[in-house]
Amino acid sequence: MSHLSGDPRLGDADPPTALAVEAAGLVKQYRGRGGTVDAVRGVDLHVREREVFGFLGPNGAGKSTTVRMLTTLMSITSGSARVTGIDVAAEPDAVRKQIGVALQEAGLDPRQTGRELLILQARLFGLSASDAARRAVELLELVELEDAADRRINGYSGGMKRRLDLASALVHRPAVLFLDEPTTGLDPASRLTVWDEVRRINQRGTTVFLTTQYLEEADQLCDRLAIIDKGLIVREGTPQELKAELRQRRGLDADPTLDEVFLDATGRTRERKAGEVQEVAG
Amino acid sequence: MSAVTQVNVLTTRSLREAWRTPEALAPTLFIPVFFLVVNLGQAGDVFPSGTPWLYGQNYAAFTLPSSLLLAASFGTAALYLVEEIEGGYFDKLRATPISRTALVFGRLGAEGIKTALLTAVLVILALPFGVEVASGPIGWLLLMVLTSAWAVVFVGFMQLIALVTRSAAATNSGGLVFFPLLFLTPNLVPRELLTRPMEIAATFNPVTYVMEALRSLILEDLEWDVLARGFGVVVVFGAIMVALNIRVIRNYD
Repeated sequence: MSHLSGDPRLGDADPPTALAVEAAGLVKQYRGRGGTVDAVRGVDLHVREREVFGFLGPNGAGKSTTVRMLTTLMSITSGSARVTGIDVAAEPDAVRKQIGVALQEAGLDPRQTGRELLILQARLFGLSASDAARRAVELLELVELEDAADRRINGYSGGMKRRLDLASALVHRPAVLFLDEPTTGLDPASRLTVWDEVRRINQRGTTVFLTTQYLEEADQLCDRLAIIDKGLIVREGTPQELKAELRQRRGLDADPTLDEVFLDATGRTRERKAGEVQEVAG
Repeated sequence: MSAVTQVNVLTTRSLREAWRTPEALAPTLFIPVFFLVVNLGQAGDVFPSGTPWLYGQNYAAFTLPSSLLLAASFGTAALYLVEEIEGGYFDKLRATPISRTALVFGRLGAEGIKTALLTAVLVILALPFGVEVASGPIGWLLLMVLTSAWAVVFVGFMQLIALVTRSAAATNSGGLVFFPLLFLTPNLVPRELLTRPMEIAATFNPVTYVMEALRSLILEDLEWDVLARGFGVVVVFGAIMVALNIRVIRNYD
């Protein structure tokens, strides 16, 4: 973690565990008309097997770009990444077999039914037609979409689409599940449903790599988390460790919230402006 | 899972998509029929069936290939692709361990099958206008295959624009390229009757050879040299489009 220079990094004393995801010096640069943009500037990550790992950061910090590199959807400018020990750049197809991906947009084909989409997804992961149909039934039950299974997806609500997207990421029983802001735009009830499903999936042994902007979500779900800001990891540890560190450093009477840890880590403060509390860059 | 099965699964999905959007299919049938009727109405009396290059048929038979090529050049599949890119489903497919070639051929295969059916329907609709396929059942089959192959070439081109620009507007505009290509052909009279500049332009236009091959199947018997030129064009341009599509998908970020 060479880029932390002076920032606290926690959890190093934990016993070594097999790593589900590891990244070293991960860099992504975009070349555009306006010059080169450094979206990710050297990220190191160590996600242990069977944990729920939270990846937090403000908008544009590099969360989604990092996820896209780890899931083979985007090329890596420099550095390396391994998922379940497999090199992402060298063996993308082998990595794809190990991961499930549910991205920010809930990428679904609106003209198919929920059942058709899951069967297709299962077939693309190599299941036979009959196994794919069976797996679709299991997953529809898991995400409680049995009643809507044969309706076209364009008639689903936002929450139903999220749950179906989650199910489609699980067709091949992946070792690692990447969820990029899985609850963005959902109402509180749907958000709680997704949380329950993430917990259930994790209890069955799947490692979950979750990006979110909701700190409460990270607090509720994640065993450990990392905070990324301006393309660099600025904090890493369990939620409790991160809170304890800030409490100690600032000499606070009680543990701060994860919001305060986040604001401290990203150099932002909260100020009262025009009668409203707003987050501003520090 | 073999690449063939992957293509099969994706092709079935794209066909289902086309079947479920009849509003997108309707213009691909209506507009070519409209052109057939208008062309016949405008020039049918100028070129009666006694005209030597009509081989005893009426002008509808001469102009039908223009309508077939028009039907094959809507490129709707590329617009669905843009929709998928914008909606995130394309990334979902890219995150599966399937061959990148299957991703390309899935849509192209569906476009080919769809166009083959569309060609059959259009030729049937042209029969009441007095059109006959002079080359017989094999001619019918070759007519469907060649028109479908052209559809694959053209949608390959549109898909390329979609993958590079990821924009529905740019993809749609790219499709308009076909109109100059369609009109720089012997679409109204044979090539030898065109003015010299038009004849030169038509000679350099690959669509000319596809059109002449289709026309030979309708008006004449199996003219293998004409057919070889038509099929040669779709094979060469098809190979180029497929290669470019695969390359773009492999480097897609």
